[in-house]
Order: sequence, then C-alpha cells, then structure tokens
Amino acid sequence: MLSVETLRIRFRTGDGLVHAVNDVSFRVGAGEKLAIVGESGSGKSQMALAVMGLLAKNAEAEGRVLWEGRDLLTLPPAEMNRIRAREIAIVFQDPMSSLNPYMRIERQLTEIVEQHEGLGRAAARARALEVMDAVRIPEARARLRAYPHELSGGMHQRIVIAMALMCRPKLILADEPTTALDVTVQAQIMQLLSEVQRDLGTSVVLITHDLGVVAGFCEEVIVLYGGRIMEQAATLPLFERPAHPYTRGLLRAVPNVEDPADELIAIPGSPPSQRAFPTRCPFAPRCVDAIESCRLTLPELTGGRACLRPVEELT
Amino acid sequence: MLNYTLRRLLMVIPTLLILVVFAFYLMRLAPGGPFTSERPLPPAVMANVLERYGMDEPLHVQLWTYIRNILCCFDFGPSFAQKDRTVNDVIAQGFPVTLTYGFWSAVFVLLLGIPLGIVAALKHNGFWDYTMTGLAIFSQIFPNFVLAPILVLLFTLSWGLLPGGGWNGGQWQYVVMPAIALGTSYMASVARLTRGSMLEVLGSPYIRTARAKGLPERTVILRHALKPALLPTLTYMGPVFVYMITGSVFVDVFFSTGGIGQDFIDGAYSRDYSILLGLAILYAVLTFALTLMVDLLYAWIDPKVRAGLS
Repeated sequence: MLSVETLRIRFRTGDGLVHAVNDVSFRVGAGEKLAIVGESGSGKSQMALAVMGLLAKNAEAEGRVLWEGRDLLTLPPAEMNRIRAREIAIVFQDPMSSLNPYMRIERQLTEIVEQHEGLGRAAARARALEVMDAVRIPEARARLRAYPHELSGGMHQRIVIAMALMCRPKLILADEPTTALDVTVQAQIMQLLSEVQRDLGTSVVLITHDLGVVAGFCEEVIVLYGGRIMEQAATLPLFERPAHPYTRGLLRAVPNVEDPADELIAIPGSPPSQRAFPTRCPFAPRCVDAIESCRLTLPELTGGRACLRPVEELT
Repeated sequence: MLNYTLRRLLMVIPTLLILVVFAFYLMRLAPGGPFTSERPLPPAVMANVLERYGMDEPLHVQLWTYIRNILCCFDFGPSFAQKDRTVNDVIAQGFPVTLTYGFWSAVFVLLLGIPLGIVAALKHNGFWDYTMTGLAIFSQIFPNFVLAPILVLLFTLSWGLLPGGGWNGGQWQYVVMPAIALGTSYMASVARLTRGSMLEVLGSPYIRTARAKGLPERTVILRHALKPALLPTLTYMGPVFVYMITGSVFVDVFFSTGGIGQDFIDGAYSRDYSILLGLAILYAVLTFALTLMVDLLYAWIDPKVRAGLS
C-alpha cells in the first residue's frame, strides 16, 4: 500500500546541507503496524512529513513515496489534498499545539469531512460525535462547543486522534503520539490506538523513541540512526535477539521493572552531525564493537541489519 | 463580558477627573497666559478681562466652576483666544474634519496594509515580499511633510486631479490627499506587522495540522491563520486610530483643512487654557473608547482572553 523507496531528505540551512534521511526504504501493507524507532534527530518525523507532503520549505526529498502506485513526492497539491486526512492521516507529536486555539473543537473536526466528503453541517456533526465516541471522549456534545484551552492534554490527544479518524483513512501516521503526555495517559492512548486500529483495520506507522511503547503494539520495527535504517525486524525477535549494536544499546537504555538490579547503560557519545551524506556506518564513532572497516564503509541493509559486525557474530 | 465592559466604563470617571485636575494645574505652570502680549494691557483693562473670564478667582475655585459647568450643562467654557467662540464650537467645527480624513486614512491603512502584509508573508522571500518590504521601509522613512508636497506636486500641479488644500465640507476630492499623507507611514507599519505575525502563525503547529487535513491553502489561510495573524495589528491600531481621527497638526496646516490638530497647536501657542483642556478631554475619552473596543475585539477573537474576562 505504502512503499517508500530510497527516500532522501535534505535541508538547506544557513551552514549548508543537512542530510536528515538517507536512502530509507520500507513498505506498509494493509492492516499492518510498523514502528519506526530512533532518537531525536534520527529523521523519523521528517519521513512522516515527507509522506504527507508537509516538509518545510527548505527541505528537498528524493526517491519515491508510492501510495497505491502514485508517487506522493511529485503529486500536484490539489491531488495531495485529496489524499491527506482522507486516505492517510497523521497524528502529530504535540497535541497541545496541534489544535487551533482560536477555533471550537466542532469546527476543527467537521471541516475535515465537509472538505472531503461534502457533508453538511449536521451530518458532519453527527460524524464528529460518532468518532469522539470511538475515541472515548466523555460528554462529546459539550466538548464540541469547547475551545482547546478548556481541555486537558490527554483530551487534546484524543481529539487529535479523532481528527485522524474522521474520514476512516487507510493509513495513520502516529508521530510520537504519547511523548507529550503523562505516563498513565500514555498507556490509555496506546490502548486506544490499538483498539481503533483493530476495529477499523487501518494500517499504522508508529514513530517513537520509546521502545516500551513499541513492544505491545507493532509487529515490525525499523530502527533508525543518523537518517539510515540500522535494523529492521519483527518485534519479538528484535527485542530478544537484537542484531545491531545500536539496537542493543537502545534496549539496554530502557529500564527493566522486573529486575531492579538491572543497570541502565547509556550509549556513549552523541548523534552524528549530518552535514555530509554518510560514507561509513553512522553509528561507528559510538559503537564499542566497531572495527576499522566500520569506519571506512557504509554497510548495506542485508538480512534486516546494516552492520558489518552484528551481535551474533561477536560471540 | 457585559460586566467587564461596565467596569471599564466606570473606571473612566475617576481617570478623567485626575486628568482634568493635572492638566488644569500643569497648564497654568507654563509661563504667560492667554492675555499676555508684547505690549502689556493697562492694569485696569487686564483686571476687567480676567474678571470676565473668571480668572480673578483662586485656581481651585476656577477648577471647580469648570468641572461643575461640564457636569451640569456640558459646557467647556469660552475660548480665551478666539473671540466669541466656545470650546464646544471649536470642537464641533474641527473634530468632524479630522474624524473624516482620519477615518478614511485608517481605512486606507487597513485595506492596503493588511493585504500587503499577507501577500508578503505568503510569498516569503520572493519577489513580492521584497517589493513590499522595500516599499514599507521607503514609506516609513518618508515623513509626511515630504510626502504631502510630492502628492500636491503630482495630483494638483502636474495632473490637476485633486485640489491642493481646503476642505469644502469634506467632499471626497478634499479628503484623499490628507488621508494618504496621514496614513502612509502607518500603512507601512501595518504591512510589516501583519507580515511578521502571519509568518509566525504560518509556522505554527496548528497550521500544519490544518494542512494535514487536506484543506486548500486558501481555506488554511482564511479560516485558520487570518484571525491570529491580525492580533498584533489590532493592538497597534487602537492608539493609532485615536491619533488619526484627532488629526495631525501637519496635515491641518499643510492642507488648510481646519481640523482640531490646528486648534491644538494654536491653543498651545496662545495659552488658550480652555481649548487645550477641552481637547485633552476629547483625546482621553477617545483613547478610552478605542482601547476598550480593541480589548473587546481581542476577546472576540481569542477565546482564552474571553474566558479571562467573564
């Protein structure tokens, strides 16, 4: 359904080019749930924006983003608008600032179906109530009249998810949907997303830096570093036997509740500068297992990992 | 909201009182008076004149009489310098003039400044943006006493399209140039202000959300971005509007429009206490009214402000 092929995203900045995403390819089929994991600056949000055609003006995207056979990167704006929200919807990172503070919730929901399905006010309103019900917003009728500042953070995120569901899209891009929320609310929102996904059969791409969120939700994981895929695998095997040293490092940095003695191990160093297109493994400078050739060549993604010395070969 | 409005209106009374008292005493601190001249009047004549205008009484008595006359009969007293005219006459004659060209000037400022700013923001760093910014800076550094003669040179002397001065009951031909001369630099400010705030709003996450909904760009701008982008302009226009409808000395003098801008300056030169005080009260009342209107408009646009008011 969605097929991203050798996507490159570059930004023209005051001090030259920044290579945010470098030759990333992946596919999402109908009803599938894919997670894209990476730390901040790994380019994961930019990929979502590229799919939606919402990259900043100083960004250039190369490669192809095929949606049911059509390349979204070259689609004229009017046609792109027919895909946004109707076929592919996005849930943004910060629900608090994603809603228009000057507009009632009702209008922010109804305008979507008025635009895409030509519904009248009353029908659009009915749809809004239906969707708010689906995302478990209590007293939906009263909430329709509210302005964003009258709602809590968790409620904001439910509204934003409701927005994404208004037209029953085939694919939802969820860009760090829980990052800005309290831990208890995070769990509710993830629960909600997974129910909605199950009920509607929607495909979901979950973008996150939180491996804990991924575990219960997605079937497949892509681990991104320095704008490149480090590892791509089914969720369970990835958690049990991470092949890439970076994935292993990420997993070690997640606290384990069951074993208090388990020490958290941070990955030394900081994410790479992305001034130049990578010519070597971007993780090599921080990798404890790196060998000379890691610093000289750029490993291709083969067998689900882009690494010259995957973990199993070390022992 | 109604409650808030009433409270604001009630606050006008003490504020005006303070203003009147301060202005009353401050003016009299200035050397000279309405009847001093190079050749002093004979003492007997001076005493007569002072008595006729009630200026022989102690100051606080004069002040009390002044306030009482305003409260009972809306009488702001006679002009000291203009014979046989009351302050009410002067304002009744001059204020409609400045109100007219000031109003049209404000219309010119908003109708041109806001769209220019929006277009510049939408074409950020493009040809129209640079053209607009250039024009805005140009008209901001172009003071109206340079602009007005150029306007007259072109429209009156070269092309003979518009009269070069006078008022003639406020026929439109007489309003155009005063309005433009008064408004151009404000128009430039409004354009720059609108451009800046529109750029900021367009970069905000909720505009990205609106675009992600697949709304056409027009709808995104008009429905989602316009209102918040106009807030800074609204704040700016409140006091500027007062300034405009009370006229500019320069415009009144240069175009001989006979507005109250001229009266204010004449009054200051001739120590015409009653005119100055009357105009000060007029400015104060207008400022109150306009700031209240701006605040109410703000509340209408921004639900957070509205919540804070009630």
